[in-house]
Amino acid sequence: MGYEELFPAIDTKWHTNSAKRFASPFVSNPHDRIDVDAIMLSHAAVSCGYTIRDFYEKPELGIHCVSYMNETYDLLPVTHWFYSLPWVRELGMKLQYKDTLPPIPVGPVIKDPSEVDKLRVMDKEELKRNFTQQEFFRLYEYVQKNIGQTLVPISYGFDLVGAAAELCGVENFIMWTFTEPEAAKKLVMKYTDTSINGAEGLADKYGFAMLIVGSVLANNDIFSDDAVKEYGAGSMRYYVDQCFRRGAGPQVFYHLCGNHETDWKVFKDTLIWSPFTVFHVGYHGKKVFPSSLLTKEFGSMATCMGSVDTKLMINPNPMAVYNQSKEQLLGGRDSPKGYILGNSCECPPYTIPACMRSMVKAARDFGTYGTW
Amino acid sequence: MDVKMSDAVKETVGKRGLKDADVQEVISNAESTKKKAVNKNGRILAKKVINKVTIYADYNIERGILKSHANLNSAFSHRMALGKVVNATGDSDWTCASCNEPAKQGTVEMSYIGVSRNGPAIVCPKCGDAWTEEYLATKTIAVAEGLFEKKKA
Repeated sequence: MGYEELFPAIDTKWHTNSAKRFASPFVSNPHDRIDVDAIMLSHAAVSCGYTIRDFYEKPELGIHCVSYMNETYDLLPVTHWFYSLPWVRELGMKLQYKDTLPPIPVGPVIKDPSEVDKLRVMDKEELKRNFTQQEFFRLYEYVQKNIGQTLVPISYGFDLVGAAAELCGVENFIMWTFTEPEAAKKLVMKYTDTSINGAEGLADKYGFAMLIVGSVLANNDIFSDDAVKEYGAGSMRYYVDQCFRRGAGPQVFYHLCGNHETDWKVFKDTLIWSPFTVFHVGYHGKKVFPSSLLTKEFGSMATCMGSVDTKLMINPNPMAVYNQSKEQLLGGRDSPKGYILGNSCECPPYTIPACMRSMVKAARDFGTYGTW
Repeated sequence: MDVKMSDAVKETVGKRGLKDADVQEVISNAESTKKKAVNKNGRILAKKVINKVTIYADYNIERGILKSHANLNSAFSHRMALGKVVNATGDSDWTCASCNEPAKQGTVEMSYIGVSRNGPAIVCPKCGDAWTEEYLATKTIAVAEGLFEKKKA
């Protein structure tokens, strides 16, 4: 039995409406309400009776779960599936599947700055024959065949600094940014160049490729604003610029997970902005990043995605989610290039369904166009 | 000014649905107004909006004793209209010939079928002129135009 036989067909009426809602911020054509993107990954598998491990080990099953749960919760008409360490296998890293986590590194590939030069960046043709690209090609072929209306070919640079740091061990990497900055920068560049070649390979196949890239490890909990600019924002700029030159894009999702209390200021004049850019920030110190600040600073640049604290999604208090969603919607809904209500990062695998409903309910109550 | 081009460039221009006369007009306009971007190797990037399409010519000037001509490297176009400069984000290889100031990589307003968004371009922070490079026009912006049409429908 194929995974497609486990799920009823998509309700086309729902999908048509959801697709109009999804498009509305980008074409200044308000539809019914502000969209909700809970950044749902393994929660979808858990909600369909599978495990977190199933989600990551069986991508086709995982993405079909995302599609089905998007419809169940009235979220997005498009599907995604990923984990935070794409392309590291191609740089020599081994990943291990776990019961309760996304794939994690078995150990660093290098331990000394002198070893950075040993890492070899595969070109796009070589990447096409290797694990990550093969996995995504297979996944998108499954989507195209079975739930084609949800397909968006996405290439993940994801956390350029965080993934590079795993290659030498995160603690080592942070140390190197002080003691061996050239090696640290070169390491990020090796990972970034690999990701760019991967994006080009996907764009070759589909004619375009949405880009998801973020600054996650590079945040104010660890780095100064200048270091976030150099390692995080600077790498993101290079990634998007090179991807555009090779035919990937034009859709870009900038994901700033973690604490960006003051470093948010370095992104506006560093990043590349396309007509289909979404900009998302997770936290401001220990608090969720206020949508009022997000849209004041970035609303003229791109569609903004506000955050509901992921911690609230496993708190048995749906009212708290509703209240924070309301506050964020009121702060962000007038953003000139559109607003999406999201979580500060991936919604937890064991997100309480009532909490998810609270986000959507708040979007209906305070995000319905024409009622404010 | 005469415009010369190789067979390969002529084929590319034809495939992109551009008329030789329009490309000639872009170059003539740029040479008479000086509104163009120039790089260190003498490459020139010029544009003109003709029938709501922004047409670009990428060319060099070859100067002879009596007469000069333009050697066309490429020509391309986009339907999005470029608006005001939003920001400048980095250095570029280009100089704004009109201002004689370094042009920057940056962001401009782009509008198409009633929608206004931002997009990347080469910008002159002084005069506010902007140019789209070939890879952006033929890849990023071309796909974006298609997405706008699909999403707007």
